[in-house]
Amino acid sequence: MNLQLKVWRQQNANTKGNFTDYTLNEISPDMSFLEMLDVLNEQLLGCGQDPVAFDHDCREGICGSCSMMINGKPHGPENMTTTCQLHMRKFNDGDNIVIEPWRASAFPVIKDLAVNRSAFDRIIQAGGFISVNTGNAQDGNTLPIPKPDADAAMDAAACIGCGACVAACKNASAMLFTAAKIAHLGYLPQGQPERHKRVLRMVHQMDSEGFGNCTNTLDCEAACPKGISADNIAKLNQDYLKAKLRGISA
Amino acid sequence: MFSLFQFLRSTVFTKIVMAVTGLMIVGFLAGHLLGNLLMFSGPEKINAYAFGLKSLGPILWIVRLTLISALGLHVWSSIKLSNRNRAARPIAYQEKKSLKSTFASRTMMYSGLAILFFVIYHLLHYTFGLIQPQTYFDNSYTLKSGEVVHNVFNMVVAGFQNPFIALSYLFAIIFVSAHISHSVSSASRTLGIHNPKYLALTSRIGRALAAIFLIGYLSIPIAVFSGIIKPACDNTEACAAMKDCCK
Ligand code: HEM
Ligand code: FES
Repeated sequence: MNLQLKVWRQQNANTKGNFTDYTLNEISPDMSFLEMLDVLNEQLLGCGQDPVAFDHDCREGICGSCSMMINGKPHGPENMTTTCQLHMRKFNDGDNIVIEPWRASAFPVIKDLAVNRSAFDRIIQAGGFISVNTGNAQDGNTLPIPKPDADAAMDAAACIGCGACVAACKNASAMLFTAAKIAHLGYLPQGQPERHKRVLRMVHQMDSEGFGNCTNTLDCEAACPKGISADNIAKLNQDYLKAKLRGISA
Repeated sequence: MFSLFQFLRSTVFTKIVMAVTGLMIVGFLAGHLLGNLLMFSGPEKINAYAFGLKSLGPILWIVRLTLISALGLHVWSSIKLSNRNRAARPIAYQEKKSLKSTFASRTMMYSGLAILFFVIYHLLHYTFGLIQPQTYFDNSYTLKSGEVVHNVFNMVVAGFQNPFIALSYLFAIIFVSAHISHSVSSASRTLGIHNPKYLALTSRIGRALAAIFLIGYLSIPIAVFSGIIKPACDNTEACAAMKDCCK
């Protein structure tokens, strides 16, 4: 298939970027979107031009690095799919494809489509963990966990930190990411001792990173490649309120 | 490390303020609608009701001050949060699709601002009588009890017989209705309701309220404009100036 690409090119965080048009011919519908970009980069290198920088690692939908906005939707047209798992057969011959980086002040562009998502790491560092003394792992069956709680924790734990929620949100809010991390630990007994401090600290860090706030439009859950529910955000709000009403300080 | 000050500054807390104050105003709108619908029961009922409200004295003022502060806090937090949101995405997307969000949810700030202007206009119109002074002042009604009270009924009829005023209320009510359709479920989420069953219920309640407010509030200007509600006949100049007076 033949494609017209419109790709965001930006030298680094301090320069202004702009869109550049590229034409690609004979793309196989069986290629992944990233393989299509690989072909583009080969073509660019062949003419001595700078290849398009984009993040990728696992190419199997679990690392969350292949972030890019494709035709106005994070990770492209297919629901619950990362860019690396998106196939070119989802497009038609002759299509125009607009490719942009995540746009958020908390995710500065490193180069072209690659953005710096360290803000997410700092939110995790603020409280997205449990403190345990090392030693032998205890027997799993000594910690009974109700099935619905285990399921809810597992669903939230599916978050790969890709940032699609921030990208899709009209406010560039990181509430779905933060809420998923909080819910994943908050549904489990191991997460209880630090539950209240965790929510206070992570929300504080999220705010300091300059993300927007949640207006419950739910575009985040629709964009999430792992289908994480925005109901987790409501749970975060409840945990936050409870922590504050109990006078917990972080 | 963590102080009350930070609590007040957090976006999650600001959002809670917004939800609580917003829901207070939704409660007021429900009560206000029930009162307004007395327009359909004729001048005696609504004029007596309005007189009753005005006679509450200090209680009326407590309610008024509470509502004004709620609105003030609501507007303050909405401005604070939406400035933050704008700063969070300094460069807009060339192409951006809305996935699941409703139009109403994406335009809350615009519907909110329109409502704010309307609230000011509405107070100037029917509370302070400055938009149509001739129908507000010197417009009295004698209740069956013999009490002489303000003729709210004729004031409202005079207002909605004017096509421009009727239209402005029409638009305002559409904005209120759009705002409400998102706000009930949004506020429920903000206040921590996270059971999917209850969340589905809150969004249904929100949409139902939006429809009830739209139909309820609109029914009055429509009834007046189409002549279903006619002015109460008396020999005041205010009545004489109206269409269908004493017909
Ligand atoms: C009739 C008057 C109003 C009522 C009943 C009302 C009600 C509400 C409610 C219940 C919410 C949900 C709070 C939450 O999501 O937690 C809300 C949100 C909001 N309101 Fe209002 N409001 C009114 C007027 C205004 C005004 C005058 C403004 C601004 C000038 C405004 C701006 C907003 C904004 C920006 C939001 C947040 C958007 C969102 O959560 O999606 N509102 N409103
Ligand atoms: S490259 Fe790892 S999720 Fe796409």
